[in-house]
Amino acid sequence: MKARVVMYAMLVAYALISLYPFLLMVSGALKDSKEILLDGHFIPSNPTLSTLVSTWSDLHFFTYFGNSLIVTGFTTVGVLVVYALAGYAFAVLRFPGNRLLYGMFLSLLFVPGVTVLLPVVILQQNLGLIGTFPGIILPFINGTAPLSIMLLTNSFRSVPGELKESARCDGAGELRTFWSIYLPVSRPALITIALLTAVPTWNEYVLTRVSLNDAALYTLPLALQNLNSSTAPQENVLMAASLIIVIPVIILFVALQRYFVNGLQGAVKG
Amino acid sequence: MAARVRGREALTGYIFVLPALALFAVMGVYTVGYGLLLSFARWNGFSPKWTWVGIGNYLDLLYNDPTIAPLVQGAALRTLVVMIGVPLLTVVIGFPLAVALNRITWLRSAFRTVYFLPHVTAGIALFYAWTYALQPEGSINFILHSLGLGSLAQPQGWLGNPATALPTLIVVMSWSAVPVAMVLYLTGLQSIDQSLIDAARVDGAGGLRTMTSIIWPLLLPITGAVIMLNVRDAMQGFQIFLLMTNGGPGGHTLVLGLESYNLAFVNAGRPTLGLSSALGWIMFVVALLLAWVNLRVLRSRT
Repeated sequence: MKARVVMYAMLVAYALISLYPFLLMVSGALKDSKEILLDGHFIPSNPTLSTLVSTWSDLHFFTYFGNSLIVTGFTTVGVLVVYALAGYAFAVLRFPGNRLLYGMFLSLLFVPGVTVLLPVVILQQNLGLIGTFPGIILPFINGTAPLSIMLLTNSFRSVPGELKESARCDGAGELRTFWSIYLPVSRPALITIALLTAVPTWNEYVLTRVSLNDAALYTLPLALQNLNSSTAPQENVLMAASLIIVIPVIILFVALQRYFVNGLQGAVKG
Repeated sequence: MAARVRGREALTGYIFVLPALALFAVMGVYTVGYGLLLSFARWNGFSPKWTWVGIGNYLDLLYNDPTIAPLVQGAALRTLVVMIGVPLLTVVIGFPLAVALNRITWLRSAFRTVYFLPHVTAGIALFYAWTYALQPEGSINFILHSLGLGSLAQPQGWLGNPATALPTLIVVMSWSAVPVAMVLYLTGLQSIDQSLIDAARVDGAGGLRTMTSIIWPLLLPITGAVIMLNVRDAMQGFQIFLLMTNGGPGGHTLVLGLESYNLAFVNAGRPTLGLSSALGWIMFVVALLLAWVNLRVLRSRT
Protein backbone atom coordinates (compact mmCIF):
# COMPACT_ATOMS: atom_id res chain seq x y z
CA MET A 1 0.00 0.00 0.00
CA LYS A 2 2.74 2.42 0.99
CA ALA A 3 4.71 1.53 -2.13
CA ARG A 4 1.63 2.30 -4.22
CA VAL A 5 1.25 5.75 -2.67
CA VAL A 6 4.91 6.55 -3.30
CA MET A 7 4.54 5.37 -6.89
CA TYR A 8 1.50 7.54 -7.56
CA ALA A 9 3.18 10.51 -5.88
CA MET A 10 6.15 10.09 -8.23
CA LEU A 11 3.92 9.74 -11.29
CA VAL A 12 1.87 12.82 -10.41
CA ALA A 13 5.04 14.82 -9.74
CA TYR A 14 6.44 13.98 -13.15
CA ALA A 15 3.08 14.69 -14.81
CA LEU A 16 3.31 18.21 -13.38
CA ILE A 17 6.87 18.55 -14.69
CA SER A 18 5.69 17.38 -18.13
CA LEU A 19 2.84 19.86 -18.16
CA TYR A 20 4.79 22.75 -16.66
CA PRO A 21 5.67 24.73 -19.85
CA PHE A 22 2.15 24.25 -21.21
CA LEU A 23 0.63 25.59 -18.00
CA LEU A 24 3.06 28.47 -18.24
CA MET A 25 1.89 29.23 -21.79
CA VAL A 26 -1.71 29.36 -20.60
CA SER A 27 -0.78 31.46 -17.58
CA GLY A 28 1.31 33.88 -19.65
CA ALA A 29 -1.26 34.17 -22.43
CA LEU A 30 -3.99 35.08 -19.93
CA LYS A 31 -2.01 37.84 -18.21
CA ASP A 32 -2.28 41.44 -19.37
CA SER A 33 0.75 43.42 -20.51
CA LYS A 34 1.32 44.96 -17.06
CA GLU A 35 1.01 41.81 -15.00
CA ILE A 36 3.34 39.85 -17.29
CA LEU A 37 6.20 42.13 -16.24
CA LEU A 38 5.80 41.57 -12.50
CA ASP A 39 7.19 38.15 -11.61
CA GLY A 40 6.69 34.50 -12.42
CA HIS A 41 3.50 33.89 -10.40
CA PHE A 42 1.15 31.36 -11.94
CA ILE A 43 -2.44 32.49 -11.47
CA PRO A 44 -3.23 35.71 -13.37
CA SER A 45 -5.06 38.21 -11.14
CA ASN A 46 -7.19 39.57 -14.02
CA PRO A 47 -7.27 36.76 -16.58
CA THR A 48 -8.02 38.10 -20.06
CA LEU A 49 -8.56 36.45 -23.42
CA SER A 50 -7.77 39.67 -25.27
CA THR A 51 -4.08 38.78 -25.81
CA LEU A 52 -5.01 35.51 -27.50
CA VAL A 53 -7.60 37.23 -29.68
CA SER A 54 -5.34 40.12 -30.67
CA THR A 55 -2.35 37.83 -31.32
CA TRP A 56 -4.52 35.78 -33.65
CA SER A 57 -5.95 38.73 -35.59
CA ASP A 58 -3.43 41.61 -35.45
CA LEU A 59 -0.46 39.47 -36.34
CA HIS A 60 -2.04 37.74 -39.32
CA PHE A 61 -1.84 34.42 -37.61
CA PHE A 62 -4.55 33.21 -39.93
CA THR A 63 -2.12 33.57 -42.85
CA TYR A 64 0.70 31.85 -40.98
CA PHE A 65 -1.63 29.11 -39.82
CA GLY A 66 -2.68 28.57 -43.44
CA ASN A 67 0.94 28.52 -44.61
CA SER A 68 1.81 25.92 -41.98
CA LEU A 69 -1.19 23.82 -43.06
CA ILE A 70 -0.14 23.99 -46.73
CA VAL A 71 3.47 23.01 -46.04
CA THR A 72 2.54 20.25 -43.58
CA GLY A 73 -0.29 18.94 -45.80
CA PHE A 74 1.73 18.71 -49.03
CA THR A 75 4.72 17.21 -47.24
CA THR A 76 2.58 14.54 -45.59
CA VAL A 77 0.70 13.59 -48.76
CA GLY A 78 3.96 13.56 -50.71
CA VAL A 79 5.61 11.25 -48.18
CA LEU A 80 2.66 8.86 -48.23
CA VAL A 81 2.50 8.63 -52.04
CA VAL A 82 6.23 8.43 -52.76
CA TYR A 83 7.26 6.08 -49.97
CA ALA A 84 4.21 3.81 -50.02
CA LEU A 85 5.04 3.06 -53.67
CA ALA A 86 8.71 2.52 -52.85
CA GLY A 87 7.94 0.44 -49.76
CA TYR A 88 5.64 -1.79 -51.78
CA ALA A 89 8.36 -2.32 -54.38
CA PHE A 90 10.95 -3.14 -51.70
CA ALA A 91 8.65 -5.48 -49.78
CA VAL A 92 6.77 -7.29 -52.55
CA LEU A 93 8.36 -6.92 -55.97
CA ARG A 94 11.50 -8.71 -57.07
CA PHE A 95 13.93 -6.68 -59.13
CA PRO A 96 17.72 -6.50 -59.36
CA GLY A 97 19.13 -3.96 -56.91
CA ASN A 98 16.18 -4.18 -54.54
CA ARG A 99 18.28 -4.70 -51.41
CA LEU A 100 21.00 -2.29 -52.44
CA LEU A 101 18.58 0.57 -53.00
CA TYR A 102 16.81 -0.18 -49.74
CA GLY A 103 20.11 -0.02 -47.85
CA MET A 104 21.02 3.20 -49.60
CA PHE A 105 17.87 4.93 -48.38
CA LEU A 106 18.45 3.75 -44.80
CA SER A 107 22.02 5.07 -44.79
CA LEU A 108 20.60 8.59 -45.04
CA LEU A 109 19.68 8.23 -41.37
CA PHE A 110 23.25 9.01 -40.36
CA VAL A 111 23.81 12.18 -42.38
CA PRO A 112 23.62 15.11 -39.93
CA GLY A 113 21.03 17.67 -40.92
CA VAL A 114 23.47 20.55 -40.56
CA THR A 115 25.83 19.02 -43.15
CA VAL A 116 23.26 19.20 -45.94
CA LEU A 117 21.52 22.37 -44.80
CA LEU A 118 23.74 24.67 -46.84
CA PRO A 119 23.78 22.48 -49.99
CA VAL A 120 19.98 22.31 -49.83
CA VAL A 121 19.77 26.11 -49.78
CA ILE A 122 22.19 26.35 -52.73
CA LEU A 123 20.16 23.72 -54.58
CA GLN A 124 17.02 25.75 -53.97
CA GLN A 125 18.77 28.74 -55.51
CA ASN A 126 19.91 26.76 -58.55
CA LEU A 127 16.44 25.34 -59.14
CA GLY A 128 14.84 28.75 -58.61
CA LEU A 129 12.94 27.36 -55.63
CA ILE A 130 14.47 29.50 -52.89
CA GLY A 131 11.81 31.26 -50.87
CA THR A 132 9.00 29.05 -52.20
CA PHE A 133 6.96 26.29 -50.58
CA PRO A 134 8.15 23.55 -52.99
CA GLY A 135 11.70 24.56 -52.04
CA ILE A 136 11.13 23.38 -48.48
CA ILE A 137 8.53 20.67 -49.10
CA LEU A 138 10.81 18.59 -51.35
CA PRO A 139 13.70 18.36 -48.84
CA PHE A 140 11.20 17.71 -46.04
CA ILE A 141 9.81 14.74 -48.00
CA ASN A 142 13.28 13.40 -48.74
CA GLY A 143 14.27 13.86 -45.10
CA THR A 144 11.67 11.35 -43.93
CA ALA A 145 12.82 8.72 -46.46
CA PRO A 146 14.77 6.37 -44.14
CA LEU A 147 12.09 6.07 -41.46
CA SER A 148 9.12 6.03 -43.86
CA ILE A 149 10.63 3.41 -46.15
CA MET A 150 11.68 1.24 -43.22
CA LEU A 151 8.28 1.28 -41.51
CA LEU A 152 6.22 0.87 -44.68
CA THR A 153 8.42 -1.90 -46.11
CA ASN A 154 8.15 -3.80 -42.83
CA SER A 155 4.42 -3.32 -42.76
CA PHE A 156 3.93 -4.48 -46.38
CA ARG A 157 6.16 -7.50 -45.73
CA SER A 158 3.85 -8.65 -42.97
CA VAL A 159 0.87 -8.85 -45.36
CA PRO A 160 0.19 -12.57 -45.99
CA GLY A 161 1.29 -13.70 -49.47
CA GLU A 162 -1.99 -15.56 -50.06
CA LEU A 163 -3.81 -12.25 -50.30
CA LYS A 164 -1.59 -11.25 -53.17
CA GLU A 165 -1.88 -14.62 -54.90
CA SER A 166 -5.65 -14.56 -54.77
CA ALA A 167 -5.68 -11.05 -56.21
CA ARG A 168 -3.42 -12.26 -59.01
CA CYS A 169 -5.79 -15.12 -59.75
CA ASP A 170 -8.61 -12.60 -60.07
CA GLY A 171 -6.51 -10.91 -62.73
CA ALA A 172 -5.60 -7.80 -60.72
CA GLY A 173 -2.51 -5.94 -61.93
CA GLU A 174 0.29 -4.66 -59.72
CA LEU A 175 -1.28 -1.25 -59.20
CA ARG A 176 -4.66 -2.78 -58.32
CA THR A 177 -3.07 -5.20 -55.84
CA PHE A 178 -1.18 -2.33 -54.24
CA TRP A 179 -4.17 -0.01 -54.12
CA SER A 180 -6.98 -2.31 -53.07
CA ILE A 181 -5.16 -4.90 -50.94
CA TYR A 182 -1.89 -3.63 -49.50
CA LEU A 183 -2.86 -0.04 -48.76
CA PRO A 184 -6.09 -0.81 -46.85
CA VAL A 185 -4.40 -3.57 -44.81
CA SER A 186 -1.54 -1.26 -43.87
CA ARG A 187 -3.72 1.63 -42.77
CA PRO A 188 -2.22 1.78 -39.23
CA ALA A 189 1.31 2.07 -40.62
CA LEU A 190 0.22 4.77 -43.06
CA ILE A 191 -1.41 6.80 -40.30
CA THR A 192 1.73 6.39 -38.18
CA ILE A 193 3.91 7.70 -41.02
CA ALA A 194 1.50 10.57 -41.63
CA LEU A 195 1.77 11.61 -37.98
CA LEU A 196 5.52 11.13 -37.73
CA THR A 197 5.82 13.39 -40.78
CA ALA A 198 3.18 15.99 -40.00
CA VAL A 199 4.20 16.82 -36.43
CA PRO A 200 7.91 17.54 -37.01
CA THR A 201 7.03 19.42 -40.21
CA TRP A 202 4.56 21.58 -38.31
CA ASN A 203 7.29 22.35 -35.76
CA GLU A 204 10.20 22.70 -38.22
CA TYR A 205 12.21 25.87 -37.88
CA VAL A 206 15.81 25.77 -39.13
CA LEU A 207 15.45 24.98 -42.85
CA THR A 208 12.34 27.14 -43.07
CA ARG A 209 14.23 30.04 -41.54
CA VAL A 210 17.14 29.91 -43.96
CA SER A 211 14.84 29.33 -46.97
CA LEU A 212 11.90 31.67 -46.63
CA ASN A 213 12.47 35.45 -46.80
CA ASP A 214 9.02 36.70 -47.69
CA ALA A 215 7.08 37.33 -44.48
CA ALA A 216 3.83 36.57 -46.31
CA LEU A 217 4.97 32.94 -46.67
CA TYR A 218 6.11 32.45 -43.06
CA THR A 219 4.98 29.34 -41.22
CA LEU A 220 3.92 29.52 -37.57
CA PRO A 221 7.38 28.84 -36.07
CA LEU A 222 8.88 31.67 -38.16
CA ALA A 223 6.03 34.00 -37.25
CA LEU A 224 6.69 33.24 -33.59
CA GLN A 225 10.40 33.86 -33.98
CA ASN A 226 9.61 37.10 -35.77
CA LEU A 227 7.48 38.22 -32.84
CA ASN A 228 10.34 37.54 -30.46
CA SER A 229 12.92 39.45 -32.49
CA SER A 230 10.67 42.49 -32.88
CA THR A 231 11.73 45.59 -30.97
CA ALA A 232 9.72 45.03 -27.81
CA PRO A 233 8.71 41.39 -27.52
CA GLN A 234 6.00 40.88 -24.93
CA GLU A 235 5.94 37.59 -23.13
CA ASN A 236 2.15 37.40 -22.96
CA VAL A 237 1.96 37.74 -26.77
CA LEU A 238 4.73 35.16 -27.20
CA MET A 239 2.98 32.69 -24.91
CA ALA A 240 -0.35 33.26 -26.71
CA ALA A 241 1.35 32.58 -30.06
CA SER A 242 3.09 29.50 -28.65
CA LEU A 243 -0.25 28.20 -27.46
CA ILE A 244 -1.74 28.69 -30.94
CA ILE A 245 1.07 26.57 -32.41
CA VAL A 246 0.94 23.84 -29.80
CA ILE A 247 -2.82 23.27 -29.49
CA PRO A 248 -3.42 21.61 -32.91
CA VAL A 249 -0.56 19.19 -32.24
CA ILE A 250 -1.94 18.29 -28.82
CA ILE A 251 -5.40 17.64 -30.28
CA LEU A 252 -3.97 15.50 -33.07
CA PHE A 253 -1.84 13.55 -30.63
CA VAL A 254 -4.55 12.89 -28.07
CA ALA A 255 -6.89 11.69 -30.84
CA LEU A 256 -4.38 9.38 -32.53
CA GLN A 257 -1.80 8.58 -29.87
CA ARG A 258 -1.70 4.83 -30.30
CA TYR A 259 -0.31 5.34 -33.82
CA PHE A 260 2.50 7.47 -32.44
CA VAL A 261 3.48 4.81 -29.95
CA ASN A 262 3.32 2.04 -32.58
CA GLY A 263 5.51 4.08 -34.87
CA LEU A 264 8.17 4.59 -32.23
CA GLN A 265 8.27 0.93 -31.36
CA GLY A 266 8.44 -0.04 -35.03
CA ALA A 267 11.27 2.41 -35.65
CA VAL A 268 13.42 0.90 -32.94
CA LYS A 269 12.67 -2.75 -33.70
CA GLY A 270 13.58 -1.93 -37.30
CA MET B 1 6.48 -16.84 -70.20
CA ALA B 2 7.91 -16.93 -66.67
CA ALA B 3 10.78 -14.70 -67.74
CA ARG B 4 8.34 -12.22 -69.23
CA VAL B 5 6.32 -12.12 -66.02
CA ARG B 6 9.47 -11.57 -64.02
CA GLY B 7 10.60 -8.84 -66.40
CA ARG B 8 7.29 -7.07 -65.98
CA GLU B 9 7.55 -7.36 -62.21
CA ALA B 10 11.06 -5.86 -62.23
CA LEU B 11 9.90 -3.02 -64.46
CA THR B 12 6.98 -2.30 -62.12
CA GLY B 13 9.45 -2.37 -59.24
CA TYR B 14 11.62 0.30 -60.84
CA ILE B 15 8.62 2.45 -61.72
CA PHE B 16 7.36 2.26 -58.13
CA VAL B 17 10.77 3.22 -56.72
CA LEU B 18 11.34 5.95 -59.30
CA PRO B 19 9.73 8.93 -57.49
CA ALA B 20 11.64 8.16 -54.29
CA LEU B 21 14.82 7.67 -56.26
CA ALA B 22 14.45 10.89 -58.25
CA LEU B 23 13.96 12.83 -55.05
CA PHE B 24 16.92 11.07 -53.50
CA ALA B 25 19.12 11.82 -56.51
CA VAL B 26 18.35 15.54 -56.35
CA MET B 27 17.92 16.13 -52.63
CA GLY B 28 20.21 13.38 -51.32
CA VAL B 29 23.06 12.58 -53.70
CA TYR B 30 23.44 16.12 -55.01
CA THR B 31 23.43 17.80 -51.62
CA VAL B 32 25.69 15.22 -49.99
CA GLY B 33 28.13 15.34 -52.93
CA TYR B 34 28.05 19.13 -53.02
CA GLY B 35 28.66 19.31 -49.27
CA LEU B 36 31.56 16.91 -49.51
CA LEU B 37 33.21 18.87 -52.35
CA LEU B 38 32.65 22.15 -50.55
CA SER B 39 34.45 20.80 -47.50
CA PHE B 40 37.66 20.88 -49.58
CA ALA B 41 37.24 24.47 -50.71
CA ARG B 42 37.12 28.01 -49.42
CA TRP B 43 34.06 30.05 -50.38
CA ASN B 44 32.08 32.98 -48.99
CA GLY B 45 28.80 32.13 -50.71
CA PHE B 46 28.90 34.98 -53.22
CA SER B 47 32.11 34.94 -55.27
CA PRO B 48 31.76 32.95 -58.49
CA LYS B 49 34.76 30.74 -57.77
CA TRP B 50 35.83 28.33 -55.06
CA THR B 51 39.44 28.20 -53.88
CA TRP B 52 40.49 24.59 -53.46
CA VAL B 53 42.39 23.95 -50.23
CA GLY B 54 42.47 20.14 -50.08
CA ILE B 55 42.11 18.94 -46.51
CA GLY B 56 43.05 22.42 -45.26
CA ASN B 57 39.61 23.04 -43.79
CA TYR B 58 39.79 19.85 -41.74
CA LEU B 59 43.24 20.74 -40.42
CA ASP B 60 42.16 24.31 -39.63
CA LEU B 61 39.24 23.00 -37.63
CA LEU B 62 41.24 20.40 -35.74
CA TYR B 63 44.37 22.40 -34.83
CA ASN B 64 45.80 24.65 -37.53
CA ASP B 65 43.79 27.87 -37.39
CA PRO B 66 44.56 29.97 -34.29
CA THR B 67 41.07 31.43 -34.02
CA ILE B 68 38.83 28.62 -35.31
CA ALA B 69 40.52 25.59 -33.74
CA PRO B 70 40.18 26.72 -30.07
CA LEU B 71 36.55 27.61 -30.77
CA VAL B 72 35.92 24.15 -32.21
CA GLN B 73 37.74 22.44 -29.34
CA GLY B 74 35.62 24.29 -26.78
CA ALA B 75 32.48 23.47 -28.72
CA ALA B 76 33.53 19.82 -28.99
CA LEU B 77 33.99 19.62 -25.23
CA ARG B 78 30.55 21.11 -24.58
CA THR B 79 29.00 18.82 -27.19
CA LEU B 80 30.59 15.88 -25.38
CA VAL B 81 29.11 17.05 -22.07
CA VAL B 82 25.69 17.22 -23.74
CA MET B 83 26.18 13.80 -25.36
CA ILE B 84 26.88 12.27 -21.95
CA GLY B 85 24.50 14.35 -19.85
CA VAL B 86 21.33 14.01 -21.90
CA PRO B 87 21.33 10.19 -22.37
CA LEU B 88 22.30 9.67 -18.73
CA LEU B 89 19.55 11.90 -17.36
CA THR B 90 17.04 10.46 -19.82
CA VAL B 91 17.72 6.89 -18.70
CA VAL B 92 17.79 7.82 -15.01
CA ILE B 93 14.35 9.46 -15.29
CA GLY B 94 12.75 7.35 -18.03
CA PHE B 95 13.46 3.90 -16.60
CA PRO B 96 11.93 4.32 -13.10
CA LEU B 97 9.02 6.18 -14.66
CA ALA B 98 8.28 3.28 -17.00
CA VAL B 99 8.60 0.76 -14.16
CA ALA B 100 6.15 2.73 -12.03
CA LEU B 101 3.78 3.16 -14.96
CA ASN B 102 3.92 -0.57 -15.67
CA ARG B 103 2.93 -1.40 -12.07
CA ILE B 104 -0.27 0.63 -12.00
CA THR B 105 -3.51 0.19 -13.91
CA TRP B 106 -5.63 3.11 -12.72
CA LEU B 107 -4.91 6.24 -14.81
CA ARG B 108 -2.07 4.55 -16.68
CA SER B 109 -3.05 5.74 -20.14
CA ALA B 110 -3.77 9.24 -18.84
CA PHE B 111 -0.27 9.47 -17.38
CA ARG B 112 1.23 8.12 -20.58
CA THR B 113 -0.57 10.75 -22.67
CA VAL B 114 0.63 13.57 -20.42
CA TYR B 115 4.20 12.27 -20.37
CA PHE B 116 4.27 12.16 -24.12
CA LEU B 117 3.28 15.78 -24.76
CA PRO B 118 6.84 17.18 -24.45
CA HIS B 119 7.91 14.96 -27.32
CA VAL B 120 5.18 15.72 -29.87
CA THR B 121 5.18 19.44 -29.25
CA ALA B 122 8.99 19.81 -29.26
CA GLY B 123 9.99 22.97 -31.10
CA ILE B 124 10.24 26.71 -30.95
CA ALA B 125 7.02 27.23 -28.95
CA LEU B 126 8.27 25.06 -26.09
CA PHE B 127 11.75 26.57 -26.19
CA TYR B 128 10.22 30.02 -25.78
CA ALA B 129 8.07 28.79 -22.89
CA TRP B 130 11.18 27.43 -21.16
CA THR B 131 13.11 30.62 -21.86
CA TYR B 132 10.25 32.55 -20.28
CA ALA B 133 10.33 30.27 -17.23
CA LEU B 134 14.09 30.59 -16.80
CA GLN B 135 14.30 34.40 -16.90
CA PRO B 136 15.52 36.40 -13.85
CA GLU B 137 11.89 37.35 -13.11
CA GLY B 138 10.64 34.00 -14.35
CA SER B 139 8.59 31.21 -12.96
CA ILE B 140 11.44 28.92 -11.86
CA ASN B 141 12.99 31.60 -9.63
CA PHE B 142 9.51 32.47 -8.34
CA ILE B 143 8.84 28.85 -7.40
CA LEU B 144 12.19 28.58 -5.62
CA HIS B 145 11.45 31.74 -3.62
CA SER B 146 7.98 30.48 -2.68
CA LEU B 147 9.45 27.19 -1.47
CA GLY B 148 11.90 29.06 0.75
CA LEU B 149 14.78 28.04 -1.52
CA GLY B 150 15.50 31.61 -2.60
CA SER B 151 19.22 31.02 -2.21
CA LEU B 152 19.08 28.65 -5.20
CA ALA B 153 17.40 31.22 -7.44
CA GLN B 154 19.49 32.68 -10.25
CA PRO B 155 19.28 36.49 -10.20
CA GLN B 156 20.86 36.65 -13.71
CA GLY B 157 18.44 34.04 -14.98
CA TRP B 158 19.28 30.38 -15.52
CA LEU B 159 20.42 30.97 -19.10
CA GLY B 160 22.19 34.22 -18.26
CA ASN B 161 24.63 32.72 -15.77
CA PRO B 162 27.58 31.07 -17.59
CA ALA B 163 27.78 28.38 -14.89
CA THR B 164 24.16 27.27 -15.14
CA ALA B 165 23.35 27.83 -18.84
CA LEU B 166 24.65 24.55 -20.26
CA PRO B 167 23.37 22.31 -17.42
CA THR B 168 19.97 24.01 -17.74
CA LEU B 169 19.84 23.28 -21.47
CA ILE B 170 20.79 19.65 -20.77
CA VAL B 171 17.86 19.37 -18.37
CA VAL B 172 15.45 20.87 -20.94
CA MET B 173 16.76 18.52 -23.66
CA SER B 174 16.35 15.53 -21.35
CA TRP B 175 12.84 16.70 -20.53
CA SER B 176 12.02 16.43 -24.25
CA ALA B 177 13.79 13.08 -24.58
CA VAL B 178 12.22 11.26 -21.60
CA PRO B 179 8.89 10.46 -23.38
CA VAL B 180 10.46 8.30 -26.07
CA ALA B 181 12.71 6.51 -23.56
CA MET B 182 9.71 5.89 -21.31
CA VAL B 183 7.60 4.39 -24.11
CA LEU B 184 10.44 2.15 -25.26
CA TYR B 185 11.08 0.91 -21.71
CA LEU B 186 7.36 0.34 -21.25
CA THR B 187 7.28 -1.85 -24.37
CA GLY B 188 10.27 -3.78 -23.06
CA LEU B 189 8.72 -4.26 -19.63
CA GLN B 190 5.53 -5.61 -21.15
CA SER B 191 7.46 -8.21 -23.11
CA ILE B 192 9.28 -9.59 -20.04
CA ASP B 193 8.06 -13.05 -19.12
CA GLN B 194 6.25 -12.70 -15.77
CA SER B 195 7.36 -16.22 -14.73
CA LEU B 196 10.98 -15.01 -14.58
CA ILE B 197 10.01 -12.38 -12.06
CA ASP B 198 7.84 -14.81 -10.10
CA ALA B 199 10.72 -17.30 -9.96
CA ALA B 200 13.01 -14.62 -8.55
CA ARG B 201 10.37 -13.80 -5.94
CA VAL B 202 10.15 -17.46 -4.91
CA ASP B 203 13.92 -17.48 -4.51
CA GLY B 204 13.45 -14.66 -2.03
CA ALA B 205 14.56 -11.72 -4.15
CA GLY B 206 13.02 -8.42 -3.06
CA GLY B 207 11.61 -5.74 -5.30
CA LEU B 208 14.85 -3.83 -5.65
CA ARG B 209 16.84 -7.03 -6.17
CA THR B 210 14.49 -8.21 -8.93
CA MET B 211 14.83 -4.82 -10.51
CA THR B 212 18.61 -4.65 -10.55
CA SER B 213 19.44 -8.28 -11.30
CA ILE B 214 16.60 -9.31 -13.64
CA ILE B 215 14.66 -6.42 -15.17
CA TRP B 216 17.53 -4.00 -15.78
CA PRO B 217 19.80 -6.59 -17.51
CA LEU B 218 16.90 -7.81 -19.67
CA LEU B 219 16.22 -4.26 -20.81
CA LEU B 220 19.85 -3.46 -21.67
CA PRO B 221 19.14 -3.52 -25.44
CA ILE B 222 16.50 -0.86 -24.89
CA THR B 223 18.91 1.21 -22.82
CA GLY B 224 21.31 0.85 -25.75
CA ALA B 225 18.71 2.13 -28.19
CA VAL B 226 17.79 5.05 -25.91
CA ILE B 227 21.45 6.03 -25.52
CA MET B 228 22.03 5.71 -29.26
CA LEU B 229 19.06 7.91 -30.17
CA ASN B 230 20.00 10.58 -27.66
CA VAL B 231 23.69 10.63 -28.46
CA ARG B 232 22.80 11.20 -32.11
CA ASP B 233 20.30 13.93 -31.29
CA ALA B 234 22.66 15.57 -28.81
CA MET B 235 25.39 15.76 -31.40
CA GLN B 236 23.28 16.88 -34.35
CA GLY B 237 20.55 18.93 -32.72
CA PHE B 238 21.39 22.58 -32.35
CA GLN B 239 17.94 24.13 -32.70
CA ILE B 240 17.48 24.46 -28.95
CA PHE B 241 20.86 26.20 -28.66
CA LEU B 242 20.09 28.52 -31.57
CA LEU B 243 16.73 29.53 -30.12
CA MET B 244 17.34 29.58 -26.36
CA THR B 245 20.87 30.97 -25.98
CA ASN B 246 22.41 31.30 -29.47
CA GLY B 247 25.64 30.08 -27.89
CA GLY B 248 25.66 32.61 -25.09
CA PRO B 249 26.38 33.84 -22.53
CA GLY B 250 29.88 34.53 -23.83
CA GLY B 251 30.07 31.34 -25.89
CA HIS B 252 29.37 29.09 -22.90
CA THR B 253 26.72 27.10 -24.77
CA LEU B 254 28.34 27.05 -28.21
CA VAL B 255 28.16 23.46 -29.49
CA LEU B 256 29.47 21.91 -32.72
CA GLY B 257 26.14 21.94 -34.57
CA LEU B 258 25.62 25.61 -33.81
CA GLU B 259 29.22 26.44 -34.78
CA SER B 260 28.70 24.68 -38.13
CA TYR B 261 25.46 26.63 -38.63
CA ASN B 262 27.19 29.93 -37.79
CA LEU B 263 30.06 29.23 -40.18
CA ALA B 264 27.54 28.66 -42.98
CA PHE B 265 24.87 31.26 -42.32
CA VAL B 266 26.27 33.90 -39.95
CA ASN B 267 29.59 34.31 -41.74
CA ALA B 268 29.36 38.01 -42.69
CA GLY B 269 30.97 37.45 -46.08
CA ARG B 270 33.98 35.54 -44.74
CA PRO B 271 34.93 32.45 -46.78
CA THR B 272 33.92 29.96 -44.08
CA LEU B 273 31.34 27.87 -45.95
CA GLY B 274 33.84 25.09 -46.61
CA LEU B 275 34.80 25.04 -42.93
CA SER B 276 31.15 24.62 -42.01
CA SER B 277 30.84 21.71 -44.39
CA ALA B 278 34.02 20.06 -43.14
CA LEU B 279 32.81 20.36 -39.56
CA GLY B 280 29.55 18.65 -40.57
CA TRP B 281 31.48 15.75 -42.07
CA ILE B 282 33.66 15.35 -38.99
CA MET B 283 30.45 15.09 -36.96
CA PHE B 284 29.08 12.56 -39.46
CA VAL B 285 32.14 10.31 -39.09
CA VAL B 286 31.99 10.52 -35.30
CA ALA B 287 28.26 9.65 -35.37
CA LEU B 288 28.94 6.65 -37.58
CA LEU B 289 31.79 5.46 -35.31
CA LEU B 290 29.62 5.80 -32.22
CA ALA B 291 26.78 3.88 -33.88
CA TRP B 292 29.21 1.12 -34.77
CA VAL B 293 30.69 0.96 -31.23
CA ASN B 294 27.20 0.92 -29.76
CA LEU B 295 26.18 -1.96 -32.03
CA ARG B 296 29.30 -3.93 -31.08
CA VAL B 297 28.70 -3.40 -27.36
CA LEU B 298 25.08 -4.48 -27.71
CA ARG B 299 25.97 -7.58 -29.71
CA SER B 300 28.62 -8.67 -27.23
CA ARG B 301 26.10 -8.45 -24.40
CA THR B 302 23.41 -10.55 -25.97
